[in-house]
Amino acid sequence: MKKIWVIIKREYLALVKTRGFLIGTFLVPLLILILAFLPAVFMNVGTEGEKTIAVIDFTRRLYMPLQHYLAEMQAENPDQSVYRIQEILTDSSAMESQKAALNAQVLSGSLDAFLIFPEDIFENNQFELYAKNISNFQFNETLAGRVTRVVSGLRLREIGLDPELVQKMNRSVRPKTYKVDRRGAKEESGEITFGISYIMVFMIYLALIFYGVFVMRGVIEDKNSRMAEILLSSVRPHQLMAGKILGIGATGMTQLGIWGFTLLLVSTYGLIMIRQFVPAVEKMPFPTISIWVIVGFIVFFLMGFFLYSTIYAALGSMGNSESEMQNLQWPAMSFIVVAFMLMFAVIKNPDGPMAVALSLFPFFSPILMFLRISLHAVPFYQVLLCIVLCLVTLAGMVWITGRIYRVGILMYGKRPSLPELMKWIRYS
Amino acid sequence: MEILKIEAVNKSFGEVQAVRDLSLKVNQGRIFGFIGPNGAGKTTTIRMVMQILLPDSGRIEIFGKQLEPGLTNRIGYLPEERGLYKKMKVLDQVAFLGEIKGLAHAAAVSEARKWLERVELADWAGKKIEELSKGMQQKIQFVGAVLHQPELLILDEPFSGLDPVNTNLLKDILLGLKSSGATVIFSTHQMDQVEKLCDAICLIDHGRNLLEGGLSEVKARFGKGRVHLRYEGKADFLQNRSLVAECNDYGKFVEIKPAAKVTPQDILKAAAREVTVTHFEIAEPSMNEIFIQVVQSKGGQA
Repeated sequence: MKKIWVIIKREYLALVKTRGFLIGTFLVPLLILILAFLPAVFMNVGTEGEKTIAVIDFTRRLYMPLQHYLAEMQAENPDQSVYRIQEILTDSSAMESQKAALNAQVLSGSLDAFLIFPEDIFENNQFELYAKNISNFQFNETLAGRVTRVVSGLRLREIGLDPELVQKMNRSVRPKTYKVDRRGAKEESGEITFGISYIMVFMIYLALIFYGVFVMRGVIEDKNSRMAEILLSSVRPHQLMAGKILGIGATGMTQLGIWGFTLLLVSTYGLIMIRQFVPAVEKMPFPTISIWVIVGFIVFFLMGFFLYSTIYAALGSMGNSESEMQNLQWPAMSFIVVAFMLMFAVIKNPDGPMAVALSLFPFFSPILMFLRISLHAVPFYQVLLCIVLCLVTLAGMVWITGRIYRVGILMYGKRPSLPELMKWIRYS
Repeated sequence: MEILKIEAVNKSFGEVQAVRDLSLKVNQGRIFGFIGPNGAGKTTTIRMVMQILLPDSGRIEIFGKQLEPGLTNRIGYLPEERGLYKKMKVLDQVAFLGEIKGLAHAAAVSEARKWLERVELADWAGKKIEELSKGMQQKIQFVGAVLHQPELLILDEPFSGLDPVNTNLLKDILLGLKSSGATVIFSTHQMDQVEKLCDAICLIDHGRNLLEGGLSEVKARFGKGRVHLRYEGKADFLQNRSLVAECNDYGKFVEIKPAAKVTPQDILKAAAREVTVTHFEIAEPSMNEIFIQVVQSKGGQA
């Protein structure tokens, strides 16, 4: 045991000190932070400020209500962009010269835009917008929305209806979501719950591939640097393999821990901010991650990691150089990728027989069973069965891969064929 | 006392039988030369002793005990394929090598410092392995094999790649270890090293033990009366079979085994007629000569 510990320690320190690890560990959270806070920063910097807009109103009855409505909106939400409109009175004969004058004003910047409401705006639902930049969608949409409100208000009034009453009647109805699990229903936001499951499954997926390749690279490095023989003259092959895998696993846990912690901080902070600024979500509950989901994450990440890293170690022991890694890793990687792709089939019906069967297949369990656990309550006997199946498979894989590793780690030259591999497993 | 005892060991890799019915014994406190041509089975034998490979049949005993994993802690091993973690710092690397041999961390570090001092690499302790020259790396590797104070030291080609100064340093360390009671087994192709260092030897080829015993005893078996000549000129007399039974000619130096009933004086006289003799010596057969003779005749006891 003490020797395994020495190997773990070396593996851990060697990896943690590499530039790649440091960059990955601290740059990724930094990126998360930047991605999380940049929009907020931009939202403040990017407000349009005050816009001066000229209006030519051929209907003669839109300008006043629009000005009134804009003022009302301004009073309600002082943060929003301010549109200052001014009416230009003209008739069709002077139209062209007037337009030329306004164009000049827009170009010079004294005017941000000008609008022309044609007489047939009520029939054709169109008005004209002139501006230097006509691809500012936010501005276009806001403006169109405001004009629409005023136009439809006038229409309603014409047939004798109170626009405010109609608006009240038309308010949309939204679902309030409750997540059902064994301890009863709990109010929770569906999108956020799914989002968190997805992120966690994605983390397992990436971690399995990522740290698996780390193990593989470590084994190839032992071969390449010819350390394997020195090591094996002092420790048993299974001690070396176990030390390698556990050391890299510990590195992975460190990295995931740092990432998870940052993510937790950011998302908590983000939610607090959202609640403060968007009154509508104030009543939205905090998404709670059940302790079982966290336990499931750790258990299934570890099982997946051990299952796959033994395979990656055996595959690595067959290679001679880093350049062979691409070819060597596909047998392990294809299982992980397939499991991840099956995720979308499982989401549709997490309790269906196919979902249950797939999630019990040990090589898929780390991703699919965890996905089911995080989405809803999986019967306890299934989780237990799954863990037992995974452990049995793990034991079997350790036996097989340990034998391949033992022979492979000292072999140089050409890669073994499948029959040769079988021989290694049988005789070593 | 026998430190290492190998009995009727066989090892095959597929069709190739690397070690064939090999038996040998190494006594405590000796420097033992394990020699043989390339591909003779030396490395395979050493790997079996180190428990990296398992023999197909036969028995191996170390320190009077059947092989078991705990025993490797009492052995130091320098493999033929030198390897170190390139990105590791020198001191960390050496301490690590000590720790996997069972030393506690603190002891490994202090031993590592002591040994780095001894091989004149103390100034490099904080450098990465990849910054060192090949010769320095080799010394690091050697230190890694000895810092846990093994009772048995197995060195595969320890001198290859070392300059004369470092060869001398290594030789002194080996002799020091010997005098403190350790047993050293080393394989080499350099017969002059065997000649100067070894108490006993074993020569194997094609996995078989061809020759084994104390150095002087082995030499005695091949008879005395070799003539060593240093000369200048064209030495045609070496072709004369009635005079020279066998010879190993280097152009300026020759080892001669005289034909039956030919005395060294006869050789000297014949030589003096053709070439300028600058050095004349009556000697034992060299290990070089024995090696070539045994391997070429595949015969063993001549």
